[in-house]
Amino acid sequence: MKLTQACKMAVFSVWANKMRSFLTMLGIIIGVMAVVLLVSLVQGATGSITDSLDSLGGSQITVSINNSKKKLSAGQVEDLTELENIGCTAPYVSGSGVSKAAGSSKDVTITGITSDYEKFTTMNLTSGRNILPIDNEYRLDVCILGNSVAMDLFGSTDVVGSQIRLSGRDYEVVGVLEEEGENQFNSQDALVYIPFTTAQRFLKSPGVTNFYVSSDTSENLDAAQDTLDYYLLENTGNEDYYTIMNMATIQDSINTVLNTLSLLLAGIAGISLVVGGIGIMNIMLVSVTERTKEIGIRKAIGAQKSDIITQFLIESMTISVVGGLIGLLLCMLILGLLTAALPAYTFSISVTVGSIALGFSIAVGLIFGIYPANKAAKLKPIDALRSE
Amino acid sequence: MIDLKNIKKIYEIGDERVHALDGVNLHIDEEEFVAVVGASGSGKSTMMNIIGFLDTPDEGTYNLDGQDVTEMTEHDLGVLRNKKIGFVFQQFNLLQKLNAYENVELPLIYQGVSAGVRKQRVLEALKRVGLEKRIHHRPTQLSGGQQQRVAVARALVTEPSLILADEPTGNLDSRSTYDIMNLLHELHEQGNTIILITHDNEIAGEALRQVQIVDGQVINDTGGGQYETYAGM
Repeated sequence: MKLTQACKMAVFSVWANKMRSFLTMLGIIIGVMAVVLLVSLVQGATGSITDSLDSLGGSQITVSINNSKKKLSAGQVEDLTELENIGCTAPYVSGSGVSKAAGSSKDVTITGITSDYEKFTTMNLTSGRNILPIDNEYRLDVCILGNSVAMDLFGSTDVVGSQIRLSGRDYEVVGVLEEEGENQFNSQDALVYIPFTTAQRFLKSPGVTNFYVSSDTSENLDAAQDTLDYYLLENTGNEDYYTIMNMATIQDSINTVLNTLSLLLAGIAGISLVVGGIGIMNIMLVSVTERTKEIGIRKAIGAQKSDIITQFLIESMTISVVGGLIGLLLCMLILGLLTAALPAYTFSISVTVGSIALGFSIAVGLIFGIYPANKAAKLKPIDALRSE
Repeated sequence: MIDLKNIKKIYEIGDERVHALDGVNLHIDEEEFVAVVGASGSGKSTMMNIIGFLDTPDEGTYNLDGQDVTEMTEHDLGVLRNKKIGFVFQQFNLLQKLNAYENVELPLIYQGVSAGVRKQRVLEALKRVGLEKRIHHRPTQLSGGQQQRVAVARALVTEPSLILADEPTGNLDSRSTYDIMNLLHELHEQGNTIILITHDNEIAGEALRQVQIVDGQVINDTGGGQYETYAGM
């Protein structure tokens, strides 16, 4: 018998028992939906977390010196750029203080930076300019205000040229940042940037304890990290005196955690697919019992064992494949609605997840169809014919 | 063509052993029209099932065209059933969910005949039994006589050499009985071997040879002559 004929027969038979076939399918539909939805949701969330990590600087190295006696000098940090694979460096120093102007005051984070600092973080100016090398050279009392600082102190962001007071010293505002809002990690708005050298004096913190380093190309990130490691080990003499952090490494470990989570969820959801498969087996066994007479007639007019097996297997696979497809379609619909409702995330079914789920549902139909199909094919024609 | 030697079939019902067939010897040549007569429970249906390989004997040998059937694989028997034998049952045994056309088409599908040839042969067979206007009717929409004619069409569509009819007129009125018997006679004239199983002596009388079975044994055979004839039977 040809396969196309077998398929026609199977579809005909599934269609002839619409309600029963649909209820059996429901098990597969729910199973596929559970697997695909959970994995796609985790993947969507992973994507958004990875994106925000990237916005923090995906290809940068953060160095901090833990031992106050082993601080580097600003000159040493600048000279690092001459080493192999190193792109640029940006020392910074942070402290907190109170900013005052026009009779109001606000607690702020004060960070001393150099002009290269903007290469390592998001620093979008809405007006004015960045900290320039000349500000650092002459330790000028200039500052860049975070959006909320400008709003709280002056009630406006158009404040370039105004003066603010930080711990008893006047600073001229040379720039104001755009409103950043909050991301997963910190608020970008309640801060004041001043020149690094000015901050060293202000915070009474000579030397450099924290700085960013980038590699010359993104591929060389690991090599740059090795170079730094070697340099710092030589300069401080102990690997416990400093910490080198690489955003890519952090990202990798977060991704590993999320992938494990997604596998775990898929595994749990996969159980419902197996349950759906048992549903198929159950209904196929009922079908075999009901259709014993039909099987007998088919055998009497010349159906082979293999014909009967094929017929029942294709029937169970039709149920599982159609169920799988309906499940996928419903997932697309739900994920589309979720994406529309939560603009911060993008949810979609990856080709891999879709095909694995579909492949799995085909396999379920096949595996759980084998036993009933075999049972049907093994019936002796005379016994099958005699049954009513 | 058919050669049964000392065929025995024993059923165990509880502790009792029932000999459905108790050493049947029967030889049927090609192009014969044989009626197997016997009362209900005499073993005549069991014999037909064995001749059509729907059942296997417990003892004895069965040669079909010189081949020992008891030695054949299940697959070969399937092929033989499909190509050599056409069954007509008392209960018609049509698939209720298929229409007349599809029922007749089924054996050809299992043979792997191409769609074009299939259509031609199915229509031809249905025309032969006079149902060319009822091809899209399902069994439930047909009378008993019409259903049996569909079954005959299904049996002859593969052009088998042997037609096995088990009480084909048992559920039919006299008009339909007449139609079906005419069809069988036609098939016989065209060179088919016909084995007709019945409990009705009048029907059996239409065949050229009568074989009588009682309690699983052949007690009278108008063709073979080697059996004792019991007066009045």
